[in-house]
Amino acid sequence: MATQRYFRPWYFIFPGAMLGLITLGYPIVQAIYHSFHAVTMRRLGDGVFVGMDNFVQLFGDHLFLRSIMATISFTLGSTVLAVAFGLFIASVMSSQGIRGTALARFFMAFFLVPFVTTQVVTGILGRLYVWQSSYGLVNFLLETIGLERVRWLTSMDHAMTATVVTNGWRMAPLALLIFYAALATIPDEIVESAEVDGASFLTLWFRIKYPMIRFHLGFVSLIILTSAFREFDVIYGLTGGGPGRSTEVLSILVYRLGVTQGNMGMANAVSVTMLVIVSVITIAAVKIGKLGAMSE
Amino acid sequence: MGEAQRKIKNYRLRRRLSYGGRLAILLGWLAVCVVPILILVMASLKPTNLFQTIPEILSFQGMTLENYSRALRGGNFFLYLRNSMIISLSALVVVLVVCTPMAYGITRLPSIRQKNIVVFSVLSTRFLPYVVLAMPMFMLFRQLGISGTLTGVILAHLAMQMPMIVWLMLGFFSGIPLEVEEAAVIDGCSPFQTFWRISLPMVLPGLNASAILALIISYNEFLFAFFLAGRNTQPLTVGITRFVGGVDVGAQYGVVAAYGSLIIIPIILFALVANRYIVSGLTQGAVKG
Repeated sequence: MATQRYFRPWYFIFPGAMLGLITLGYPIVQAIYHSFHAVTMRRLGDGVFVGMDNFVQLFGDHLFLRSIMATISFTLGSTVLAVAFGLFIASVMSSQGIRGTALARFFMAFFLVPFVTTQVVTGILGRLYVWQSSYGLVNFLLETIGLERVRWLTSMDHAMTATVVTNGWRMAPLALLIFYAALATIPDEIVESAEVDGASFLTLWFRIKYPMIRFHLGFVSLIILTSAFREFDVIYGLTGGGPGRSTEVLSILVYRLGVTQGNMGMANAVSVTMLVIVSVITIAAVKIGKLGAMSE
Repeated sequence: MGEAQRKIKNYRLRRRLSYGGRLAILLGWLAVCVVPILILVMASLKPTNLFQTIPEILSFQGMTLENYSRALRGGNFFLYLRNSMIISLSALVVVLVVCTPMAYGITRLPSIRQKNIVVFSVLSTRFLPYVVLAMPMFMLFRQLGISGTLTGVILAHLAMQMPMIVWLMLGFFSGIPLEVEEAAVIDGCSPFQTFWRISLPMVLPGLNASAILALIISYNEFLFAFFLAGRNTQPLTVGITRFVGGVDVGAQYGVVAAYGSLIIIPIILFALVANRYIVSGLTQGAVKG
């Protein structure tokens, strides 16, 4: 449209683009640059170019590969948990008689509490009162129903479960909120007439509800997946990466390599690996789900 | 009985879950969401030197404020609170001043191709792992001599907030019909006046939602401050981790619980009050398709 030229859009975009280049673009370029250098805390300015050495060393290190496995378990586990519970509660909330009422608004306000609670405090609260093995909440409930206590955070077998559940608890509200908003747009008449015509529960879900929330399912999964992938705060507060590095996801590994051990080259090689993984996920999502169309 | 009536009768018989059943599920989920928080708050009100079981923690007997007085005296609470406030408010102001016009400009780009390129570059940074930024910033700020300053942490928060705010505001601005702006132009408004007097007021609810979300995210943020802040410039989120190590208070759970409660109670109350805006901000961009 010709008149749009009058609005001089680039003048409005320019300051933001500059700030983005300084605060986002430059650090990303630096991260890539340092990942090809041997840099240590002492000699920050003059790293030696080592080509792919950092990456070769990383991928030959079984601790790094274990960290990748931990990241996959954590990311997929908490995404599946958050999406499943979010969808279930949202479908209950969007049922007739509850959706749109003051009661639904009251519930929704409190359902958002896990999401707005400071993540590192969520982790600490989990460590001290929820997963603690002798008097924590989860073991208290397990004993009440007659089951054995579990050493959640001190055994390498169970720490990841606790970490995944904690992050799932934190992210579920986001899924719940978006699914509720999506399901509430499906008119009662459509659901009712399908039910009268004898549609089973599953038919109703797969033929009517699923097609109408498919887009949201993809969007929510992408958001939760990518934010679980970069999660640091919850894990640091809950386990600090332990015990025995069983919950040391890539973000925590970057901190340990770069800040604790002062090996900046390797730390940046890990973050560049993360950058590649997240780019692949994003591009795949844009191509498959046409998520780029969201902003239109 | 006619065909239709039989169908309706069948339908009534098969009606899935009663109102009471659904209510019970929602109440159960409410407990899942709120009980851990309640445990933290109740534990902070109990004597610090006793290990207590869950029922003991949740009882109202033997309540004391001793943990709070120790948390406030021992943990530099007010200094860190001040840092938290400075960081989140400065980042918020800069990000709104810069990103609101940016989002507006993007939606008014005449060429779809240009628009797609700009939108994609914003989208691609939205999912960026934060350590990718934090690690080089940690090195860069040391070399620039702003390591451990509030300025460094604020810059990092700008990087974190920008993609999200531009993204949210894009959605709100593209809801405005172009005809309204064209009418303003015909009446003699300059491009800036059109933005300031016509478009901005129309997205004010969206601007509120974005600002509230940005504030909550900055206040809760831990990673960047953990990498970049110094001993006197750290926010509350980093401050509390020093307690858990036990250096300052000898790993006294009650004091940690009090410190944690002091951090999360204000933000939870704020979120409950501003609920409407949070809901609109979080669903924006997701629920239009």
